[in-house]
Amino acid sequence: MASTSRGDSLPKVQCPNHPDAILVEDYRAGDMICPECGLVVGDRVIDVGSEWRTFTNEKATNDPSRVGDAQNPLLNGGDLSTMISKGTGAASFDEFGNSKYQNRRTMSSADRAMLNAFKEITTMSDRINLPRNIIDRTNNLFKQVYEQKSLKGRSNDAIASACLYIACRQEGVPRTFKEICAVSRISKKEIGRCFKLILKALETSVDLITTGDFMSRFCSNLGLPKQVQIAATYIARKAVELDLVPGRSPISVAAAAIYMASQASAEKKTQKEIGDIAGVADVTIRQSYRLIYPRAADLFPPDFKFDTPVDKLPQL
Amino acid sequence: MEQNNSLTPFPQGLASPPGAMTPVMPIFSPTMRYNTGLTPQPVQNTNSLSLLEEQQRQQQQQQQQQQATPQLYHSQVSTTTALPGNTPVHTTPLTPMTPITPATPASESSGILPQLQNIVSTVNLGCKLDLKTIALRARNAEYNPKRFAAVIMRIREPRTTALIFSSGKMVCTGAKSEVQSRLAARKYARVVQKLGFPAKFLDFKIQNMVGSCDVKFPIRLEGLVLTHQQFSSYEPELFPGLIYRMIKPRIVLLIFVSGKVVLTGAKVRAEIYEAFENIYPILKGFRKTT
Repeated sequence: MASTSRGDSLPKVQCPNHPDAILVEDYRAGDMICPECGLVVGDRVIDVGSEWRTFTNEKATNDPSRVGDAQNPLLNGGDLSTMISKGTGAASFDEFGNSKYQNRRTMSSADRAMLNAFKEITTMSDRINLPRNIIDRTNNLFKQVYEQKSLKGRSNDAIASACLYIACRQEGVPRTFKEICAVSRISKKEIGRCFKLILKALETSVDLITTGDFMSRFCSNLGLPKQVQIAATYIARKAVELDLVPGRSPISVAAAAIYMASQASAEKKTQKEIGDIAGVADVTIRQSYRLIYPRAADLFPPDFKFDTPVDKLPQL
Repeated sequence: MEQNNSLTPFPQGLASPPGAMTPVMPIFSPTMRYNTGLTPQPVQNTNSLSLLEEQQRQQQQQQQQQQATPQLYHSQVSTTTALPGNTPVHTTPLTPMTPITPATPASESSGILPQLQNIVSTVNLGCKLDLKTIALRARNAEYNPKRFAAVIMRIREPRTTALIFSSGKMVCTGAKSEVQSRLAARKYARVVQKLGFPAKFLDFKIQNMVGSCDVKFPIRLEGLVLTHQQFSSYEPELFPGLIYRMIKPRIVLLIFVSGKVVLTGAKVRAEIYEAFENIYPILKGFRKTT
């Protein structure tokens, strides 16, 4: 637990022998100790540790050391209001059996929608195991969009889904729209619309997606070994460099590259399986595969070990 | 009255208002009151000028047009300036006006003209209509009030579709030129009139024009979106083309990898042409080299 920082007005305590040494605070004992010689320079420092101690064996449901919810006040606009909780004893009920002090709902009506959205964002992110930094970034984006009020008419869930998509893109780990659709109740069309509106409202832009962004996720979902993943990444990158697939979505090119790499290795996957994972139709994979097939020999990395040689690759 | 050169193809009455950024494209249209170059009649001539002065004024306008036309193909910072002091005092025989192709503009013109594909226009027939009788008695009309609250009528020549609402307002879509759109709207109004409604033809206005063309070379959309981030939106997951929102003129362009370009959002034909001339040098810069 961080202790309070010393203000400038207070005289700085120093070790008399080592004036340059930075003192170490031992807040349990209330001391400030010089790390060079171990001299206790200042004592009777106010203990900011918890008053109560809870042991892991105890099954107490209430934790006396917590005096407030550990939410981040930055996002909520400083929630310092007091809530009256449900009563515990018999005295909290009046003659009809209703509880006295019913008024615990109106805590922050303005932020209620925002808190709801944060909960929804967390739920969506948990479904696809997104790390905390993406969730925080999504929350921040949502807060900015919500405060701007330019997208007020849109459903909050749609804005939250679009913020999640933008956050993944901004962190360098883009998720496809279909992947976001899978964890959200909003349609791809609506998420796409909100995405464009949010970019305009926040006046930001995002980088273009590349084939390599999705390789690790798709390949590990398919259970392909690392060598195949490396080969597929190389194939997709080469295909885009040689401009064999102009105008094709990078997802489709990535799926076709995975198909080619897996068919050349021992772990062969069907187009349907890859289509299920990547969210592309298998005819789309077929189309992109037809475009890269003629140059297949040039697309493989030089050190690739072929289980099926290039001329025996399936021709669709 | 000295006749202007009878070879002039434009109506002389057309003039862009001084300071206009887009000179008016003179288009022959049967709906224009004062057409043909044979008898130059000024459209907005309120003062009683002498014939000589009228001629001078029209030459001035023509000179403005001639000077304006090369500027049409300049980059964005073109202005058409009225030059009142430069007109000759005496009438000079007019050079035959060529159609608006610049002689030697500062930047090369593309030489490609976008083709208009669709014009959407609205007109007010000026009376309340009973859609049910229209739908029952007119040919080629469909009316499904549960689905949409208007009669959808189609005619074959010009091939257009009209949405006719019970308030008397009508939307006409599908025409390939402004003249055809107006003609089609008049035909629909006549159909409605023949069915017994006192239809008028008020406030005909073209709301949207769509044009398309081909630059004949493939384009690197990724490069374009990097440099023109504040105008472009390229999301291959959502749409295969790049959506370029030009500020001046206010036109949306859909640019595809193949080199095809669709321009929409224009109210007048000149905006489409101007937008294409603005985008063409940019696209040339992002030509695919392989």
